[in-house]
Amino acid sequence: MNGSGAAPDRCDEKASDLSSTAWVAALAGLPKMGPVRMRALLDAWPAQEAWRRVRAGGLETERRVVEACRGLTAEVASQWALVARETDVAERWHAHRERGIAVLTADDPSWPAAFADDPEPPVVLFVRGDVAALGAPTVAIVGTRRCTPTGRAVARELGFDLAGAGVRVLSGLALGIDGSAHGGALAAEAAPPVGVVGTGLDLTYPRAHAALTDQVAEAGAVVTEYPLGTPPAAWRFPARNRILAALAQAVVVVESSATGGSMHTVDAALERDRSVLAVPGSVRNPAAAGTNGLLAAGCAPARDATDVLVALGLDTVGRSPARPPAPSVEVSADQRLVLGALGWDATTLEQVADRLDVPLGPVALHLAELERLELVARTGAWYTRLAPTW
Amino acid sequence: MLAIIPSATLLGVEGRPVSVEVHVSNGLPGYTVVGLPDTACRESRDRVRAALMSSGVSWPMKRTTVNLAPSDLRKSGAGLDLAIAVGLLVASEVLDEAAVSGHGFLGELGLDGSLRRVPGMVPLVAALPGDVAVVPPSCAEEATLVGRHRVRSANTLGELVLALRGDAPWPDPPVPGEPEAPEAEPDLADVRGHRLVRTALELSAAGGHHLLMVGPPGSGKTMLARRLPGLLPDLGPEEALEATIVHSAAGRALPVGGLVRRPPLRAPHHGASAVSLIGGGTAQLRPGEVSLATNGVLFLDELGEFPAVILDSLRQPLEEGVVRVCRAAASVSYPARFLLVGAMNPCPCGEASTPGACRCSDAARLRYQRRLSAPLLDRFDLRLEVCRPDPGDLLAGPPGEATAAVAERVAFARLLAMERGVRCNADMPGSRLDEIAPLDPGAAAFLEHGLRVGTLTARGLHRVRRVARTIADLAGRPGPVSAEDISLALNLRAEPVRLGVAA
Repeated sequence: MNGSGAAPDRCDEKASDLSSTAWVAALAGLPKMGPVRMRALLDAWPAQEAWRRVRAGGLETERRVVEACRGLTAEVASQWALVARETDVAERWHAHRERGIAVLTADDPSWPAAFADDPEPPVVLFVRGDVAALGAPTVAIVGTRRCTPTGRAVARELGFDLAGAGVRVLSGLALGIDGSAHGGALAAEAAPPVGVVGTGLDLTYPRAHAALTDQVAEAGAVVTEYPLGTPPAAWRFPARNRILAALAQAVVVVESSATGGSMHTVDAALERDRSVLAVPGSVRNPAAAGTNGLLAAGCAPARDATDVLVALGLDTVGRSPARPPAPSVEVSADQRLVLGALGWDATTLEQVADRLDVPLGPVALHLAELERLELVARTGAWYTRLAPTW
Repeated sequence: MLAIIPSATLLGVEGRPVSVEVHVSNGLPGYTVVGLPDTACRESRDRVRAALMSSGVSWPMKRTTVNLAPSDLRKSGAGLDLAIAVGLLVASEVLDEAAVSGHGFLGELGLDGSLRRVPGMVPLVAALPGDVAVVPPSCAEEATLVGRHRVRSANTLGELVLALRGDAPWPDPPVPGEPEAPEAEPDLADVRGHRLVRTALELSAAGGHHLLMVGPPGSGKTMLARRLPGLLPDLGPEEALEATIVHSAAGRALPVGGLVRRPPLRAPHHGASAVSLIGGGTAQLRPGEVSLATNGVLFLDELGEFPAVILDSLRQPLEEGVVRVCRAAASVSYPARFLLVGAMNPCPCGEASTPGACRCSDAARLRYQRRLSAPLLDRFDLRLEVCRPDPGDLLAGPPGEATAAVAERVAFARLLAMERGVRCNADMPGSRLDEIAPLDPGAAAFLEHGLRVGTLTARGLHRVRRVARTIADLAGRPGPVSAEDISLALNLRAEPVRLGVAA
């Protein structure tokens, strides 16, 4: 067992009783490690042996591995060896256990079946929460972080209605649409929500969503392919999106600019033959340029949860929205006029005043009161009308 | 023989009296200047010598010492040339001592003996003792603004000698040039649409509220800001003199008639250094842009591009209305009571104010917005987003209200503020708000809700009430401010694209 390892092997005594999953988890924690390199190492050796080889260094001379890795420089191999020598595998494994994080590999019975024919499946998944939440039916609701109040409201309603209809709502737990969709799914207290993140499960990105992440883990599951301690990095988000697309049976884009990150998810979904739906938006809304583009390219529209249920091939009978009726809000005749002049596009105070041909002061007062009644949302100078929600 | 000639030198925006003592005695011919002259001042020797010779007066082949008293004050610039030359003439007995008594002399000499203008004539003359001020002809008008002296001028040193001797009458003061038509200030009538910003400009002018405009490129921020000085009333006599002194000290050409009567607009580029903005620099401690904008408008375009340190240095003048510049050699204070108008993009790409259109990364937006510290941001009573105007308004909309009509309302509102004993509503002390800007029940309930839900802070509350007072004043409602006034004031103090502090 002790081969040519130059450094004394600190963890070997404890290591003997670690499962092979522990070694896979340790490999996943190496810098610049992705699924392709992981698979190359694990195809060549059993997990523990692979770890020993990495620690010993000199992997760049193993032709078989280098080819399978599609290139592996001496620099990366020595970096791996350096990190591996300083890593206490047993301790890291126990850290995962203590936090109640399930580590899944392809041999695991609860490994999601969705990865069976995936072109680029992950090698390992870290799951916080209930592993059973990863089952079907699932829908990913994605969209831009810079959404409009309308987009936010639509995402929330879709999340609520789909979860209420027994569909597991997936999203990336990002700001904006992602967060709102999960907010709605949690409020329904029905099907478990699933968050797919691009960091270790001990770090939350964005920090503002720490509480939401906890709630999602509590009610469903939060999934990642990175071990504890992995910080957010730009390249990990597209990688995260591919898992999101793979786990979902359909992807609903609520709002996205033409070049937004949600388009990565759409591309990954199309590559995997998942249905993609887009929520139609106003042509005046730059945040809806991407979704309207998808519709023009032939995507199915998602006007409400029923459209999504139909796309999933689910029976819509009995799955109709169980949303409680919106509380009726008393508005005065003047406020009704202001609401009418506001319309459903983002509008400024002066536009409303111009449309009604009245002074700015009273309009400002009515808008402030409507905002208090949550019939209107304000972003900067812009007001958007909100449909009454529950 | 000894001659003592009164003159003055400039420190900051103040003149300091200087006695030019010239001593001519027998001994090896030589010329020394003592009493902390700067380089320009030391070089006076060559100008004075040439000027005397060109004027037909011989240079004394004697030992000459020039002392500039008080000798611990650094003298800067060439403004003492004329006093030194006259001192030499008296000390070498070309001129009678009695002929110059009661006269103070200011001016630079050309090699041909001509008298040239020096910056800061107003404060310099104010510092001159005696009854008669002799100044270069191009400064005569400026010098009379002080009003304490009889102002004399001559074109050349030769003419001056003749006049002082009584051999020729004093030359006539130069005829003030034809008062050129005041440079047309841009008119608000050219602005189409932009109803909210026009209201904000009017409020800013009427109440002295600092204004921050945030908007995408091409939304007209700069164009609108340039129309603000036109809304302000003419400066009062004291304000005008204060502004004139600063402009004079900075060496800026004064308008015909001498006095700066219209509120100045200063718009420094964002590459400006801290010294050029605040003042200081040379031994003379020149006033900076904030002082040149005194009683007028300081417009900082692309506010987000100014270094944060420079922006934060504006906080003292904004709070106190003066800038104190301290250097090892001296410390001076300049007036700096200005209306601050800032314009900036909401983010580096400029599109963040349209919902969903921004292409910047979160980090880039955060970096951009952090340039403005919360304390500085808080000084802006009016913070609003400027949107691109509606194309229909641009092409076919009716022209806006003209500057003259708006200025009339502004003047009326300023008058109301004067009657309350403050310069403008923004200066209202918090302790008098309940008396000057009482709230009607609806307004009180509205503010209470804002305070409860945290959209309004205690400090913001005062600022909102001041703006609401100005709104009511402009609308001609003398009584308590209403919920409508308050909600418009709150609307105009909103967060342009989440700039990070509560109102």
